[in-house]
Amino acid sequence: MAITVDNLTNNTFEDPSRRAPLITGGLDNEGVTEVVADLAEAPSPPRIWWVLLAVSAALTTMLGGLILLLIFKGVGVWGNNNPVYWGWPIVNFVFWVGIGHAGTLISAILFLFRQHWRTSINRAAEAMTIFAVVCAGMFPGIHIGRVWVFYWLFPIPSEHLAMWPNFRSPLLWDVFAVSTYFTVSLLFWYMGMVPDLATFRDRSTSKIKKFMYGLFSLGWSGSARHWHRYEVAYTILAALATPLVLSVHTIVSFDFAVSIIPGWHTTIFPPYFVAGAIFSGFAMVVTLLVPMRALFNLKHVITVRHIENMNKIIMVTGMMVGLAYTIEFFIAWYSSNPFELFAFQNRAFGPFWWAYLAMFTCNVFVPQLFWFKKIRTSMIMSVIVGIGVNIGMWFERFVIVMTLNRGFLPSSWSYFRPTWVDIGMFVGSFGLFMFLFLLFCRFLPVIAISEVKGTLAFQKHMALAGGYSEDGDH
Amino acid sequence: MNNEVDNREQKKLVGVLGQFDDAHTLVHACEALRDSGVKKMDAYTPYPVHGIEKAIGIPRTILPWIVLSIAAGGLCIGLGMQWYTNATTQLLPFWSGYEFRISGKPMFSLPANIPVTFEVIVLSSAFASFFGMLVLNGLPKLANPLHRIPRFKRVTNDKFFLMVDVGDDKFDASQLRNNFSDWGATDVEEVFQDQTDWKLPAFLKTFAVLALVLMLVPPALIFRARGMTYTGTRLHVVPDMDWQVKFKTQTEGPLANNNTTTEFFFQDIRAQFDDLPGTVSRSDQSGDSEFFKGIRTGSDLHSSHTTPAVLASNQEETAQEETTATTEATAADEPDWVTTIPSQVKVDRDTVLRGQRQYNIYCAVCHGYSGEGNGLANNRAVALSTSGESAWTEAKSLYDPTVIDQPVGRIYDTITNGRSTMGPYATRIKPEDRWAIVLYVKALQKTRKTAVSKTTEDNSAGDKKDSGK
Ligand code: HEC
Repeated sequence: MAITVDNLTNNTFEDPSRRAPLITGGLDNEGVTEVVADLAEAPSPPRIWWVLLAVSAALTTMLGGLILLLIFKGVGVWGNNNPVYWGWPIVNFVFWVGIGHAGTLISAILFLFRQHWRTSINRAAEAMTIFAVVCAGMFPGIHIGRVWVFYWLFPIPSEHLAMWPNFRSPLLWDVFAVSTYFTVSLLFWYMGMVPDLATFRDRSTSKIKKFMYGLFSLGWSGSARHWHRYEVAYTILAALATPLVLSVHTIVSFDFAVSIIPGWHTTIFPPYFVAGAIFSGFAMVVTLLVPMRALFNLKHVITVRHIENMNKIIMVTGMMVGLAYTIEFFIAWYSSNPFELFAFQNRAFGPFWWAYLAMFTCNVFVPQLFWFKKIRTSMIMSVIVGIGVNIGMWFERFVIVMTLNRGFLPSSWSYFRPTWVDIGMFVGSFGLFMFLFLLFCRFLPVIAISEVKGTLAFQKHMALAGGYSEDGDH
Repeated sequence: MNNEVDNREQKKLVGVLGQFDDAHTLVHACEALRDSGVKKMDAYTPYPVHGIEKAIGIPRTILPWIVLSIAAGGLCIGLGMQWYTNATTQLLPFWSGYEFRISGKPMFSLPANIPVTFEVIVLSSAFASFFGMLVLNGLPKLANPLHRIPRFKRVTNDKFFLMVDVGDDKFDASQLRNNFSDWGATDVEEVFQDQTDWKLPAFLKTFAVLALVLMLVPPALIFRARGMTYTGTRLHVVPDMDWQVKFKTQTEGPLANNNTTTEFFFQDIRAQFDDLPGTVSRSDQSGDSEFFKGIRTGSDLHSSHTTPAVLASNQEETAQEETTATTEATAADEPDWVTTIPSQVKVDRDTVLRGQRQYNIYCAVCHGYSGEGNGLANNRAVALSTSGESAWTEAKSLYDPTVIDQPVGRIYDTITNGRSTMGPYATRIKPEDRWAIVLYVKALQKTRKTAVSKTTEDNSAGDKKDSGK
């Protein structure tokens, strides 16, 4: 065992002569393997894991029940009605899809930019992406009315239906974008995991585990030839996922922006949605990783520096979102379109003013706390801000959708009220997300072991060349 | 060398494996090995070691080209699919596409087709790079002699290995052992392939046979079903809109005899409500031709039905052509119009007042309150057509020489079926009310035919029996 229990080196200060290490605690290759494998090999996970699993399993069951209710009774169990036809389901959909974006950003974009710090967090972030997209895809999926013919969404030739989708509709683009996003993220995630599953395979002692890990690691042997093609494939996937992740939220924003509704029909929507997605996604990663690193003893791999880096991204994207909110108002005024102006006045001062206030406070003001180094390196504060940002981002979508309540016809103005099913499903989707994430923590490699080893090698190399501090690596 | 099975007879030598403790030594060993002329070798590492490709002499993979060509295919398929399904008709005899007109936009316009094309490209190339990588690597690989070696398990942890294949021209086990040790290997051993490995476990065979047999069952059932006639109701896996639970209008719901379900149908278990007040029934307007059509019974029932032209048609010329055509036609063979108000309609003050009310609601917008053809809608439309913004035929004055002496039946018909550019009102005004309007129109016309004093007298007398020709 090469795990030393010395105090964490503070690796958040950058000394121009010696770069701060990314992996601390003197972990070597074996140490990294063991830290990660310990989670899956421990005879029993910590008690809190069981508690959380029980809670999230209960919520998931409730979600399943509510979906059945919806299928049997119809979409009327939701509060969706004139003039807010989309209601909570689309709010939740956009919220969850947005969450997913940080995972792909970390795994693909930061990879292309050679950000070595990504290796400690990319696996968990990608898992988060997949589970978030599962939750997201569920909402429009059950909103289509006759769920059992969901495949009509796709251009599947059938003599029976004899109809094709309208390829010029943003809603159809959405079907393609989200399903492609899910598939590519899954491939990317799985491919990254193959060498680590092989590690688990080679360490496991029980027959079932040996078989399962053996099956999914596809007979990986670590051959240099394999690694060569693997790395090329990984780079190509990253290069594909990068435009993909930007396109997904762009297309989600088209659902709104391509319509001709005042307040929706704006060209700022795509960039503003993408920034918001990354913003909320990173907040979610921080919210998940801080407890995870504490619970599962991953402090040397996911260091304060990783959390701090993410907090910086949260602050930047938070300011982008804030800029978008302000510009929207300016443009509404500048357009001299009374309907556009009204739509925005209605957002900020209409019956949903409280939601707008919650959104603005949580998204624009709260992340400003990260200007202080004390706060952005404090684990508790990171989680608090992360949760705050996610509340704000949920309200952002809420505001965009709900303020349809005052359209062109004052006679049909009304106030949107969710039903208990709406609320139950939203809470239930968190249950599903947590449930999947907890299972992931217990059974799969939560850290990209082989990639961290690559980073270690790089760190060592730099240390020899005098670039990296020796602290990280004995 | 502590292989799990110890039957040397059954084993075939595969190669010589050296273990190294760090990447540096491994890379140097690779280089040295390559210098000694060995070609068939491979290194095994826990993470991708950079520079090892060169040391071993691994050629650059063709994977990017494979992905590129698949991506090009994705581009064609993505675009072609959208063009075929939304912009062509009957191109192929099956699953044909159809022209999908959306808000008058072109059938095929690149910008709107970019998102889907892009997604198809990304999806296909992602599959290509993942599965291409697997295929080129020969994965998934179910058996590998290396995995039989306990020491090799650390390749996914922290150790590095180098193996020379037995098939190499320069292969010499003892020589290699020495070399490996010289180059810093911490351990060297020979790798054997266990021939008994090839045997499948017995339960797998049974399982495979069973699965094969079971797989034959569904196709067998389908073929059986195809080959026989079936008189029962069709089976629908997915209940489609073509087969929905519904009842035709004016029928009795099937639950009429068991008054249990109120959820699905109207309270009294009919398949339809009674006529709502204000709706105009059109289904039972046959029989009494005088009342419903304004044409004398027994006469040659040559209906004057003319398809009403679109009111504000954009093509002025067509509209005018139609107008003239209809006028000629009606002049040639006019039906035998009734000349008196049918007996069902009471001719009295109340009816005239009702007619006035309905006229003011339905007709005055075009014909004007006084019937001179100067209603607001008409005036606005005339203004627009003068400035060339739209086409409009002026609403006729009801005192026009061609109209003033028309029989009541014909005016009734004008209201019912419309006349050239005037639309029909059969669905909006009840027959009784149409007659009431006719009565009012006749009263209006009378004001221009007779002296004022006479009309007043007639009105107060309430005698409109002579309101025909
Ligand atoms: C939307 C405008 C419009 C409305 C409403 C309208 N009309 Fe007309 N009507 C016309 C026009 C235009 C013509 C002239 C048609 C032509 O000559 O091409 C016309 C012609 C007529 C004629 C003469 C038909 C003939 O034989 O040449 C009568 C009678 C008449 N309307 C009665 C009515 C009555 C009664 C109503 C109310 C139920 C009514 N109209 C409502 C537009 C209107």
